[in-house]
Amino acid sequence: MGPGARYALRSVASGLGTLLFVVVFNFFLFRMLPGDPIGLYTRGRNVPPEQIEALRAELDRPLLEQFVTYLANPFASTINSARYNQPVWTLIGDRVWATLLLVGTAIVLASILGTWIGIRAGWRRGERFDRVSTGVTLTLYSMPEFWLGMILLITFGVGVGFVPGVFPIGGIITPGVDPTSLAGVLDVMWHMVLPVTTLMVVYLAEYALVMRASLIDELGEDYLTVARAKGLMDKVVRRRHAVPNALLPTVTLILLNLGFVVSGAITVETVFSWPGLGLLSYDALRGPDIALLQAIFLLFSIGVIVANIIADLLYAVLDPRVRA
Amino acid sequence: MATRALRRSGAALLAASVLALAAPGVAPAEESPAPSPVPIAAATGPFTVGFTDDVDSMNPFTGIIATAYEMYQLMYPTLTSSSKDDFSAVPDLAVSWQESPDQRTWTYTLREGVTWSDGTPLTARDAAYTFNRIINGDYEQTNYGGYVANITKAEAPDDTTLVLTVKQPTPIMLRLAVYILPEHVWKDIDGKEVRSYSNEPEDGEPIVGAGPYVLVERQKGQFIRFRANPAYWGPAPAFEELVFRVYKNADALGQALRKGEIDFATELQANVFEALEGQAGITTVPAANYDFSQIGFNTGAALADGTPIGDGHPALQDKRVRQALNHAIDRQLLVDRVLSGYGTPGSTVIPPMYTALHLQPAEPLGFDLERAGQLLDEAGYPLGPEGKRLDKDGSPLTFRLLGRQESQESQQTVQFVEGWYEDLGLTIDTKLVSEDTLIELNGQGDFDIFEWGWGVEPDPDYQLSTFTCAQRSSKDGDTIYAGLSDSHFCDEDYDRLYAEQAVETDVAARTEIVKQMQQILYDEAPYAVTYYPDMLQAYRADRVHDLVAQPAATGDGRSGRVLFQFGTWSYQSMQPGPAPTGDGGEQAAGAGDEAGGLNPVAIVGGIAALAAVGVGIALVVRRRATSDEDVE
Repeated sequence: MGPGARYALRSVASGLGTLLFVVVFNFFLFRMLPGDPIGLYTRGRNVPPEQIEALRAELDRPLLEQFVTYLANPFASTINSARYNQPVWTLIGDRVWATLLLVGTAIVLASILGTWIGIRAGWRRGERFDRVSTGVTLTLYSMPEFWLGMILLITFGVGVGFVPGVFPIGGIITPGVDPTSLAGVLDVMWHMVLPVTTLMVVYLAEYALVMRASLIDELGEDYLTVARAKGLMDKVVRRRHAVPNALLPTVTLILLNLGFVVSGAITVETVFSWPGLGLLSYDALRGPDIALLQAIFLLFSIGVIVANIIADLLYAVLDPRVRA
Repeated sequence: MATRALRRSGAALLAASVLALAAPGVAPAEESPAPSPVPIAAATGPFTVGFTDDVDSMNPFTGIIATAYEMYQLMYPTLTSSSKDDFSAVPDLAVSWQESPDQRTWTYTLREGVTWSDGTPLTARDAAYTFNRIINGDYEQTNYGGYVANITKAEAPDDTTLVLTVKQPTPIMLRLAVYILPEHVWKDIDGKEVRSYSNEPEDGEPIVGAGPYVLVERQKGQFIRFRANPAYWGPAPAFEELVFRVYKNADALGQALRKGEIDFATELQANVFEALEGQAGITTVPAANYDFSQIGFNTGAALADGTPIGDGHPALQDKRVRQALNHAIDRQLLVDRVLSGYGTPGSTVIPPMYTALHLQPAEPLGFDLERAGQLLDEAGYPLGPEGKRLDKDGSPLTFRLLGRQESQESQQTVQFVEGWYEDLGLTIDTKLVSEDTLIELNGQGDFDIFEWGWGVEPDPDYQLSTFTCAQRSSKDGDTIYAGLSDSHFCDEDYDRLYAEQAVETDVAARTEIVKQMQQILYDEAPYAVTYYPDMLQAYRADRVHDLVAQPAATGDGRSGRVLFQFGTWSYQSMQPGPAPTGDGGEQAAGAGDEAGGLNPVAIVGGIAALAAVGVGIALVVRRRATSDEDVE
């Protein structure tokens, strides 16, 4: 077994260890929450007392018994949400793709655009493009997502003055449109414009700044002087020598952010009524709907852990020093 | 080994969800059925209603969110409905009913020639099936058990006759809010399966129903789509298609109405509603509603058998103290400040929207801090040297006051109440807790004073039951569980009247008893009813007219909801387009989105954004400039 394989194995093993810890920790964490979910769900409804008792008895099984059942398979389709009476993974499955679509698109766009801005700004540090782009991205970065989303919604959704409100106020698709048709795909894209823009604009600065900073770090390096001395064109020096070396921190950042894709953007989902996981987790906290909370947190953790493993592995590929 | 298998299945699941991402079309997609001929102008389009609380389930056995019940009554009939004028029982599927002379059987005559939306005849057998399923069911009891607790069996001697046998006389038989389901569909869903049954279209066929509309599509968290049911026995609704859309934030809901993305908005927030008022093309309806809010007191927590529990302050067991705390609440101010004026000051536990049942007390406990002080003096809690009232042991008289985290109104109310109580010389320890925690504290009796509220249905039995001795907490092993009573009120006279009204089938006689019970609650003051909040609804007057309010008048010049009623009145009466001109007033020519072009929030926001960008750029440019100089 080479050092590379051993390194890979170590990353994966530590990831799986973390996952096991999360499974156990989540189980006990949520059981420390106070509250009487059945009392809340049955309040104001014409539920006979015997039925309330039966519902409570289901949740009040001995802790150890619950733990063993849960640990045997945290992904079992028999785990039901106390609030929705549906298998928790079905509920999550209904929502997860909307979140992935929204946040995934935003991160991909933001990383491409941000990296490009960062490279241009860093390479010509202090020039007008650098000053303007850094100022703008920093300003956008510091805007609260909720507020920015609301402004975009009112301006381009409702329309202000001569700006027509061409984009929808909320949702992912117009009711009645078949999502598998071409019209449906276009309709979804049309609904994505405002929420994706909001998220992208907020994410943009992070990538631009990290890329810019790491490129600036490389600017003074000897190997660039050598490359220039060889008579290479400025463009080639940048593309072939400086950028690949400066890309490492940005790659890590992108991957780490991808881990958070599933946990989504609760605020943006709320502003644009996007049917993702954000609101589901909020609802699950009320009650509390322990089974659903557990499943959602497990999914979030898996997202982060998997992204971390990939980042580790990719880092080794990109930078041979890491493997040693 | 087991753990390894576990991880692998996890990875597979993750992979599956990633795959799902790749194809947005994975969402259940059914052919939209070809629209049947529409009797109205084709340009009308669907009637679209926006709300913020998504329906939790389309299955009438599992849904608990109030909006879900609007869906059920659009899809399924009930035996009787509530009249639009005063909530009295009126025919729905049953055209007439008869209580037997011995008061032990009820015979309902159902409409003839009614069919389900798939063409199958709807007979008394479907009704009997539904009732028997609940009576003999387990999970089926959850939503409807309270209605059938007294019914022993349901029989269908012929296609249009349903006979229900009861243990004892009961007035609830006119108010059985049980949705009649098609036996030929539901017999295949057993008692275990019913619990997680979604009742949503999966194969492109609408859900079989017999209400004015049938469900054709549901996307959780997004929308619910209905089509007019051609087999419906009543008047055909003017809108062929009906859509409910979810908006997750209150501002977006208001904006969607202004823009015309929706035609109707319900449960609007007060500030959003205010912004819609006076907008061209929009009619706003601050509707009298069935909710009340209260400040509740721990009147002496106990189990149903009388065993005391909890650590409630003993002073609150004295009715004079509770009355004092009642006098110290300025209800009008709460309505003005907490509800922005959209509501009415509270008095008794049956809201005034129920014109027939509500008791307006002859001697209202007005806001009177002086009288409150006297009552506390009488009860033996005098003012101490530092302006603080003293407990029997000489320490400051201290109460814990609980508000609910989930509700802005609750938080504001407890702030005001804390202020008034401190003016009385009391020491108040205010805390915000989540609603499920509050239920637990209520159940254990570990509280003094709390803020919450109830929604009251047309039949008063359930609400009145929450003040009976039997609804105090219960004990199972070492665990204490909350009953419905959160004040732990227990009064012999009240319980006797409760039992009387539960078997009184004469409407007038029962109303009299219900009013006496409200009077007892008002005098004994387990609750200080603070206010009746309005239901804030609004709609596009240029898109729809002829909605009807339920009730049309509450007596104090107000009217009720125009949608989300008890019954489907407005869906049957409303017509597309603006009201025919002539009566002037609310209908408007222009569309709201043009009229509302200049939104002050957007203007201020836009200016702020521009300024922020400008400042940001200026700062960075300056910093760059200085650092460049440094380098040089």
